[in-house]
Parts: sequence; structure tokens; C-alpha cells
Amino acid sequence: MNNHDEFLDSIAVYALGSLPKSEAAAARAHLRTCAQCRAEYDALRPAVDALALSAEACIDGRSGPVPSPLLRARVLRTVRQESRTPTIAPSRLRPSWPAMVVAAAAILLAVWTTAANLMLRSDLTQTHDQLAQLQAQNTNLNRRLAAQKIMIAEVMDTNAKRFPVNGGEVVKRNDHVYIAMDGMPMPPKGHVYQAWTEHTGAQKMSPSITFMPDRSGVALVSLPVNASAIAAVAVSVEPEGGSKAPTTKPEFVVKLT
Amino acid sequence: MERVRQRDGAAFELLYDDYHRLVYGIALRILGDVPAAEDVTQAVFLKLWSSPQSFAKGNFAAWIARVTRNRALDVVRSRSVRLQSDVPDTMPADDALEDHAFAMLDAEFVRSALARLPEDQRKPIELGFFGALTHEEIARRTGIPLGTIKTRIRTGLRKLRAQLDGVVTA
Ligand SMILES: [Zn+2]
Repeated sequence: MNNHDEFLDSIAVYALGSLPKSEAAAARAHLRTCAQCRAEYDALRPAVDALALSAEACIDGRSGPVPSPLLRARVLRTVRQESRTPTIAPSRLRPSWPAMVVAAAAILLAVWTTAANLMLRSDLTQTHDQLAQLQAQNTNLNRRLAAQKIMIAEVMDTNAKRFPVNGGEVVKRNDHVYIAMDGMPMPPKGHVYQAWTEHTGAQKMSPSITFMPDRSGVALVSLPVNASAIAAVAVSVEPEGGSKAPTTKPEFVVKLT
Repeated sequence: MERVRQRDGAAFELLYDDYHRLVYGIALRILGDVPAAEDVTQAVFLKLWSSPQSFAKGNFAAWIARVTRNRALDVVRSRSVRLQSDVPDTMPADDALEDHAFAMLDAEFVRSALARLPEDQRKPIELGFFGALTHEEIARRTGIPLGTIKTRIRTGLRKLRAQLDGVVTA
């Protein structure tokens, strides 16, 4: 199959991955030299990739099979055994810049996919009333997304000062202080995380905002303080609504100097 | 993914939780039996753990889906008594990954997009993708001429692509 006319006919089949091995090699060779066929291939390829998604197993088994939890245990056990080999450096102790990139990206993605899903559903089935409501929600989400983007840009800034803590870092940039976590377990039921700030020269911690990590342990919060006035930041687990003074041993206390 | 590259077990766990239903679903659809699908799922994730650098860039879901399909086709091939040349070729796992298009999709959307295709286009596409059949086998099995099968696959994929574009520009 050297000639363009012949191949053009098979390009969709090749994109689908359904050419036999013998013909696929020729197809690959032709693709390298023919811009027109390459364009068609590039256009169809995402459709083929998308096909795979239709096979995704459902959480509740409504429209597909449910993978066994035993399988999860088996895979994770194997990985844990492997990671105990001595050649591997422990990287979790040192939260690094790339880890924060992951945390930030996860937050953006979460906000964005919610927005996308809402739009999708509105497109498919909703009535006018619901559509208006969804658009309002979408505007809200976009506003949140914009605010998150600013926070993330600040946290990522190379001029920011970073103070590593267990499970993340405290970031100081200009007047702002952020807590950026990417490995935070959920607090016990009825509890939240609360931030504490120690003003320069003060003897005790003042209560600051309460917050929760998301499902994947990611949290990114901006503390309502002026960074220049703060000597230390701490986080503890507190009952919902927060406390006036810490009631548990802090998860971390970090001096911002 | 970055954390998995640094061999962070917790990050791997999150990755497993997010993608195992996709991996398992594809494997089961192609292989048709639970133990084989579980084996492929395990193999794909262990491979990811031991050589995370094999994922270079682009959309992770699209990439892991291709890796899974290729792996499942390997199993089909090893089971098969057919001639080697009569088994579909595996797909390259690294070209033309379109990030934006893929990130907006979910299983439900693709299922309904597929359902909107005429049966005579959907069937050969599904047989080719999940049935591990070459276009010649699809033609043989359905009794439809090879040329017609090619045209239907092409038309169906173009329609699917157009529906994806609808999502992306929505
Ligand atoms: Zn050509």
C-alpha cells in the first residue's frame, strides 16, 4: 500500500487500530510522508481515544461491571512491597515544588470538570429554567476558578518563601500567607482543620480560618492576615465551627523566619 | 503523575482510584472474562509504577486507555490460534494525544454519542475497537463487503469526532 489513493481509504481503520499488523506497517510509513492522510488521522484519533471511555466501569455498577476491591488490595500490596527496596529514596518527607504543582493542578481540574459536567448536562437534557440556574452556577465556578488561579500563581511564584511542613508547605509571598497541602487526611467526623497565627511579639496563637482538604488530600487556603505581622503559623484539628484556643496537639507549627 | 515518578505510594493510590474503573472496563470489554481483565489491570498499574517515565505528556486518561487496550490485545493475540497477521495491530501510545478534547469528556457522554450513531456504523467500530477484530474479520463476520466496512468506520468516526468538537466548543 504505497499509494495515497489506496491508503486514504484505510486511514480510519488504521486510526481505529483494526488494520492487521502486515498492513499497519505500510500505513505508518505512508503517514510519515503524507500530510493529507496525517491530517485525517489526527482528526479521527481523538474519536478513537474517546471510545475507550465508554467502557469505563461504573462505581455503582448501574451501567457496567464493578472492579473487585480485592484487586485494589492486590495491586497496592505489590507496589508497597516493591517500594520497600532500598534503592528508592523516601520523597514524601520533603514536600517539593512539583508536589505543589500537582496540588494546584488538582484544584483547578476539580473546579473545571464540575463546570464542564454542568454544561454538558445542560446541553443534553435540561429545561430552560434549569439552564439559567446552571449558568449562574457556572459563573460562580468561573469566579472561584479565577480566584484559585491567582492564589496558585502566588503559591507557585519562585520569589515566594516556602516553609515545608508535614504534608505540604506554608508559603509567604509579599503580604500574603498561604497554606498549601497535598497529603492531608480527612479530619474525624464533625471536625475541621483550623489555622492559627502568632503575631510578632505576641505570646500566644490567635485563631484563624477553618478549612477542609478535598477528597484527594489537597487544600490551598489564603490566611486573612498581613504576612509581615506574622511570626508563626500552626494548624490543628478542631470541632466544626473552630475553637478560641487549640484543643488538640497541632499538626504542625512553623516559624516564618 | 509527578509524585508517582518520585515513587510516592499515596499518589499512586489516588491514581489507581481515579483510573482503575477505566482500565478494568476496557480490559473486560476486550477480554470478556473477569480474571483476565483483573490481570491486565494489575499489569497496567504495576507497569505504571515501575516505569512512570513511559507516560511522557498529553492526556493521562487517553494514554492509559491506549496502554490498556494494547495490553489486552496482546493477551488476545497470545490466546489466538489465528495467524499472527490476522490480529489487529496495537496502537502507538504516544501520538496525537489531544488534551483539551479529552479532559472534558466522561463515559456517559461517549456512551450517548455512540448510541446516536446508526447501528451499521457503530457495530463495526465497536467490533474493531473492543472485539479485537481486523477490518477483514469484521467484514467476514457481518457479511458486509470490506469496502463498505471501511466507509462505515470512517463515517462513524467522523461523526463521533464532530460530537466531541461540539463538547469542546460548547
Ligand atoms: Zn496519503
